[in-house]
Amino acid sequence: MRVDPNYISNLATSLDQAQANQEQLTAELSSGVSITALSQNPTASGQNVLLINQIQQDDSFTQSSNLVTGQLQVADSTLGSVVSQLTQAISLATSANNGTMNASNVKSIGNQISGILNEVQSLANTNYQGQYIFAGGQTSTSPFSTSNATSPAATIYNGDQNINYLETPNGQKIQLNVPGSQIFSGSGAKSVFGALNSLVADYSSGAVNTAQAVTDTEALGTAMNYVSQQRVTIDNSITQLTAASEAVTSDQTQLTAAQTNLMQADVATVSTQLSLSETQQTALEDVIAQLDSASNSLFSKLQ
Amino acid sequence: MGTISSAFSLMSGALNADQSALSIVANNVASANTPGYTAETPNWQENAPIQINGVSYGSGVTQTGATSLRDRVLEERLDQQRQLASASGARLTALNSVQALFTPDSGSASAKAGDIGSDMTSFFSSFASLEANPTNNALRQQVLSSASTLAGDVSNAAASLNGQRAALNQDASGITSQVNSLTGAIAQLNQQIQSTSPSADAGTLEDQRQQDLSQLSKLIGINQITTENNGLSITTTSGQLLVSEGSSFQLTTGSAGGVTHFYVGTTDVTSQLASGGGELGGYLTARDQDIPSVMNSLDQLAFSVSTQVNTLNDSGTDLDGVSGTVANPLYIFSQPTAVAGSAANMSVAMTDPNQIAAAGLGQGAGDNSNAVAMASLASQLIANGQTPTNYYSNLVSTLGATVSSVQTENTAQNASVTQLQTQNDALSSVNLNDEASSMETLERSYQAASQVFTMLDRIMTSVLNLGVQTAVS
Repeated sequence: MRVDPNYISNLATSLDQAQANQEQLTAELSSGVSITALSQNPTASGQNVLLINQIQQDDSFTQSSNLVTGQLQVADSTLGSVVSQLTQAISLATSANNGTMNASNVKSIGNQISGILNEVQSLANTNYQGQYIFAGGQTSTSPFSTSNATSPAATIYNGDQNINYLETPNGQKIQLNVPGSQIFSGSGAKSVFGALNSLVADYSSGAVNTAQAVTDTEALGTAMNYVSQQRVTIDNSITQLTAASEAVTSDQTQLTAAQTNLMQADVATVSTQLSLSETQQTALEDVIAQLDSASNSLFSKLQ
Repeated sequence: MGTISSAFSLMSGALNADQSALSIVANNVASANTPGYTAETPNWQENAPIQINGVSYGSGVTQTGATSLRDRVLEERLDQQRQLASASGARLTALNSVQALFTPDSGSASAKAGDIGSDMTSFFSSFASLEANPTNNALRQQVLSSASTLAGDVSNAAASLNGQRAALNQDASGITSQVNSLTGAIAQLNQQIQSTSPSADAGTLEDQRQQDLSQLSKLIGINQITTENNGLSITTTSGQLLVSEGSSFQLTTGSAGGVTHFYVGTTDVTSQLASGGGELGGYLTARDQDIPSVMNSLDQLAFSVSTQVNTLNDSGTDLDGVSGTVANPLYIFSQPTAVAGSAANMSVAMTDPNQIAAAGLGQGAGDNSNAVAMASLASQLIANGQTPTNYYSNLVSTLGATVSSVQTENTAQNASVTQLQTQNDALSSVNLNDEASSMETLERSYQAASQVFTMLDRIMTSVLNLGVQTAVS
């Protein structure tokens, strides 16, 4: 049987392949990435896109949740201050209503309650990073203003009923705000400002209509309880946000691990492959050297 | 009966034959490394015996030239395989450049320029961040800057794809002149072969023709048809005649639909050539199928994202309380008119971040409902029934799978070419050991013939002297 006399060139092709293989393995080792082109693992490349997408979404949610947590905490502590102001107003009103005070003392209480009213209004107009947090969607204008044209004076809500939500990566919606009207100027006995304004009017003359003042004081108590209820909504949001944030962080950790597992080169495996490839190259080179030596040709034996 | 002088002539014939055979061996050795050379073997022919008085005497040997050691079936098989291998090779090279535009992102958290998947995620995430504080200028700026990164990367990828397509177009056109000069040369060789060697192997001429066929096979897909008198006709794989014995037909080019088309006579053979094989087949497949398919996916993605985001933004209320109108739409991206070309033309039209409509229609600036809606586009089936990220992920893995399968195909075809080449070389290329052994044999045979000649000379001397020792020496 005749054989291919050009076997050396075939061996050279194998040598080229071994070298190309080594180049690829070296690139994997130096970059630490096992997939440098889509074709090396199409499925993993597609998977990688999805994993990175989720990781980035998680990352972005963590940042957003830090932002809104600040806002929610400000809202919560503001409502805390409102409750303590209202508590003080109720105790003042109660002392004015027991009939032991003279006109000037009643007036002074009226003034103090008026001061509390201003304080509560300024708390209701709290802004966070320039945005009024109890204004619904109208965050650029201060939501509450008081008009003294009538008696009792009227505090008007300028915001709207808009509620914002933050969506977590898995679609859960977390409430970000409670419109000011819902907290401070609810209908009937739930209105903080209505009760405060009435009390200020009740005590302004010094002569107290006790029955009316007691009713108004009770109304303020009801309104205060209602503020506390609304505060719970904010507290719930903070709790939800913290839980969602933790879930997202742990999700992100797992996804990052999966992504690393998918894309990173396994140094031990790659090193072993590289070593094998080097051995193959050396062997090929030796074989070529042996076969190529001149003494292997019959011509060299002819005399 | 045989005579001494007939023995002389027999021996001189043998010496001539040996010399002639030695020159064939010498030619083999000399051409051992010539590309396309086919080893030749001497033809020995026994001379017709002579009948004298009813007794048959052999009259020696004649050397009747050389025969090339050729297997036409094997050669044609090799050519066919070469066409397939060079088609997939050219296609693979083109696809490798294409997939380099979509290198997998190894990073995890932060978006990286050049990676459309990450760009898209950070674009939609920027709306999610805007949910937290819809009036914040920095967050609004972030939306616009991530939009322009996305648009920039998409349009860059599209521009690169167009550039690669144009380069392939040029490569493909460049092949035409090589094909024409090869078919011309083959037609000319056909004429020479048919006139000089109609019934037998034409040796060197045939080597040249075979060499041209091999080169032609690397360039385009062809069929070979052997005709009478050792002629050869060549058609494209789809049957268009390129060479008919002594005449060749030019492959011409013309522009159609923005790319080069190929014609034989007036017939457009572009699509047949694309599936035919050879480098031209590979280039055309990449130019007319692979790149347009990736481009189409990218266009679809760009179109969906641009139009959907634009529609939503247009239907909301921006920071200044303005909503989009027909005359003044609030578009973030320049609105594409058709799917084709959307990727290349993707750009950000909005310059003022205040125009991002985070609020719902008629809502105050602090409302974020439209930002929520735009952020949730990321998880809606807006791109051909898939989420944008899934669509892109699909694009990437489909492209990767195509490249990978062409790679596998190419490796297998190259292995097959190597195998056939080995078989062909085993038969046709010069084996120096064989030549050394032939040389040795012929040398011995020549020496023997010389010896016989010398002995005959002595016998002749004896005959001439008829016993007298010194008359002739």
